[in-house]
Amino acid sequence: MGMNRPSVRLAATIAIGGLTWLGCQAVAQADDEEAARQARWAQVQRAVFADRKVMDGASMLQLEAPPRALDPALVPLTITLTGTKPVKGVYVVIDNNPAPLAGHFIFGPAADPRTLKLRVRVDQYTDVHAVAEGADGQLYAVAKFVKASGGCSAPAGAADAEHLGQMKLHLSEGFTAGKPLQAQLMIRHPNFNGMQMDQLTRYYTPAHFIRTIDVSYAGGAVLHVDADISLSTDPVISFGFVPRARGQLKVAVRDSKQQSFERSFDVPAG
Amino acid sequence: MRVALRARVFCSLALLMSVHAGAAEVAEPDDYWTGPINSDVPATITGGVVIHARELADLLRTASVVLIDVSNAPVRPAGMAPNSAWLPLPHDSITGSLWVAGAGQGKITPEAERLFAQTLARKTGGNRDHPIVIYCHERCWLSWNAARRAIRLGYRRVHWFPEGIEGWRASGFSTVATEPERAETS
Repeated sequence: MGMNRPSVRLAATIAIGGLTWLGCQAVAQADDEEAARQARWAQVQRAVFADRKVMDGASMLQLEAPPRALDPALVPLTITLTGTKPVKGVYVVIDNNPAPLAGHFIFGPAADPRTLKLRVRVDQYTDVHAVAEGADGQLYAVAKFVKASGGCSAPAGAADAEHLGQMKLHLSEGFTAGKPLQAQLMIRHPNFNGMQMDQLTRYYTPAHFIRTIDVSYAGGAVLHVDADISLSTDPVISFGFVPRARGQLKVAVRDSKQQSFERSFDVPAG
Repeated sequence: MRVALRARVFCSLALLMSVHAGAAEVAEPDDYWTGPINSDVPATITGGVVIHARELADLLRTASVVLIDVSNAPVRPAGMAPNSAWLPLPHDSITGSLWVAGAGQGKITPEAERLFAQTLARKTGGNRDHPIVIYCHERCWLSWNAARRAIRLGYRRVHWFPEGIEGWRASGFSTVATEPERAETS
């Protein structure tokens, strides 16, 4: 079975040469890719934040994202505020998606903004930026690179008119006055982005997605979300709020076809 | 230099073999393919010729060829907030291509069908023997469908390049940012 000497030498030469060549290519390519990522972020920044300066946010917030996503249509993101400066909102930007701004989350007086979770679509390998906006209007960004592709055209299943707009809420624990609670909100909505094919007709399903979500507790604003086509089907969003007195958590959702959905949830005693 | 060339040939061969291995079991559909666009493709196209990167490079050097990219183009979804950013990444085609988006759909819209037929007629000067090369991405049925469509329009020298943009780049050839063709307004 053994190869004779010249062929071993030839194979080794080819292998070493090939590896060297691939190595050089890889280094050159990595430089190119880094430059391309920076150029794209600069372009996206201009489109989303115009001339506003965006500073490094390492001391303000953290972003957790899977380096390689199992499902590009359901990529989980967690944003944790770690700084001491008050923050009025968070932007989630998926640089290489055609609509890069996945969501703008604005915290109300009743919010506990420290932890925010959502699930998004990723269309191709991309940097994901979480950008915190301080109460003073300053912007602070952190980024994670996510390897996922095809999330925007992944089949989303049929529109489920019967359950459209239905909501569920999970609370981390019961009500104790002044003690922050974490809420997980689930909304039934296909969030069609216009790039998914109908499995039956084979034509593209028209876009139909959630535009805004408003959450309040006992009449005080918790969270306003401006969403876009990058939220996953059946969006799940986790956020914190501080209940000062007994009340209901009210959620109002409006979508791109001007349909509205509302639901109020009791917050049982702890 | 020689080593680099060897490696490049080796890589091209490996790519070729992997493309063949992946496509071996897929039969040509009777009509246009209406299944998932990004899935394994056949190794053949009846009435046309399958072409690979190096042969395509040679063909482009030696002949006048109508080179058509039928990759999908992103379309801004209806209902987005008017001020929200719509910034699809630039699309890179093989240098010298026309990008005719929509021409490879299994169920084609009348507008896309017209644009495809008009583009072919204009670029070939109506000569049904003019060489045409059609491609999109790797593992992408759009180019297979569009090649069949061109064959059914009566073109006799239709080449289908299944490795697509990715295979072209992997073989070390160049691509360039391209804008999609628009229908002529009449």
